[in-house]
Amino acid sequence: MMDQILLLIFATILFGVGLYALLGKRNIIKILMGIEIMTVAVNIVFIALGTDLDNRTFNQFTIVFPLISLAVGAAVMALGLAIVINNYRHVKSVDADEMATLKR
Amino acid sequence: MSLVVPIVIFMSLAIISAIVALETKHLMISIISLIFMNIFVWAVFMFFHADLLAWIQLIVYGGGLTALFLVVVVLTEKQTDEMFDWKKTTFAALFSGLTVGILIGVFLAFDETKLTFTGSVTSPAGAMSEMWVNRPTDLIIQALLFFATAVAIGALFVKNKTDSRKEEIKS
Repeated sequence: MMDQILLLIFATILFGVGLYALLGKRNIIKILMGIEIMTVAVNIVFIALGTDLDNRTFNQFTIVFPLISLAVGAAVMALGLAIVINNYRHVKSVDADEMATLKR
Repeated sequence: MSLVVPIVIFMSLAIISAIVALETKHLMISIISLIFMNIFVWAVFMFFHADLLAWIQLIVYGGGLTALFLVVVVLTEKQTDEMFDWKKTTFAALFSGLTVGILIGVFLAFDETKLTFTGSVTSPAGAMSEMWVNRPTDLIIQALLFFATAVAIGALFVKNKTDSRKEEIKS
């Protein structure tokens, strides 16, 4: 049970680091990195709450939902990076503040 | 519990790598730190016997997305680094620190017996079939949500295209 709490604390700290990037950074690439770190943290929470370490078995949600989360997270990242490149072609910058409007 | 020490070491290294990835000024070092973070998280997953998720996470996030990040950084090179904004950084650090503090407090205040595990699945196929038998409503709602999202995004694209065509005709 101690390992479970440890894993939850680890996931929480990683989530906090990602949240810090989301709130405090202006570079869009770093913001996307923060989102990736937050997604990893959520997967760790799934593992922490659905794993039986003694018998090495998993809850059904522990196997299915992190995989869905990974797939959706990867799609979100790809879309975000495509938007970054498209925006860079227009404004020649990756600063989020200069991306005030997407309609250019 | 001799495994606790290496687990804690790998967790600390993953957190340090994540912080370095976000705080360093050079985006290449940032990406390398992100790779290291994914490797350390892979190690933590392996300690907890989540082998499948560990490998998929390493392949998708540590490999594929890192390559995407690399391409984006190369395509947007010669960037002046962002100015350090004390106000924004302090607010972000305080807010995320407060959130982490509250969440850790909640976790530590948990009654540990309530965190017991119920389930005995060992493979993704078994997990899917068990979910289909026990929780079909969840799966149907998810499918409906995906469908609605796809329709909404498609409608937005169509509307955007018709608007731009109208503007072209007007001009």
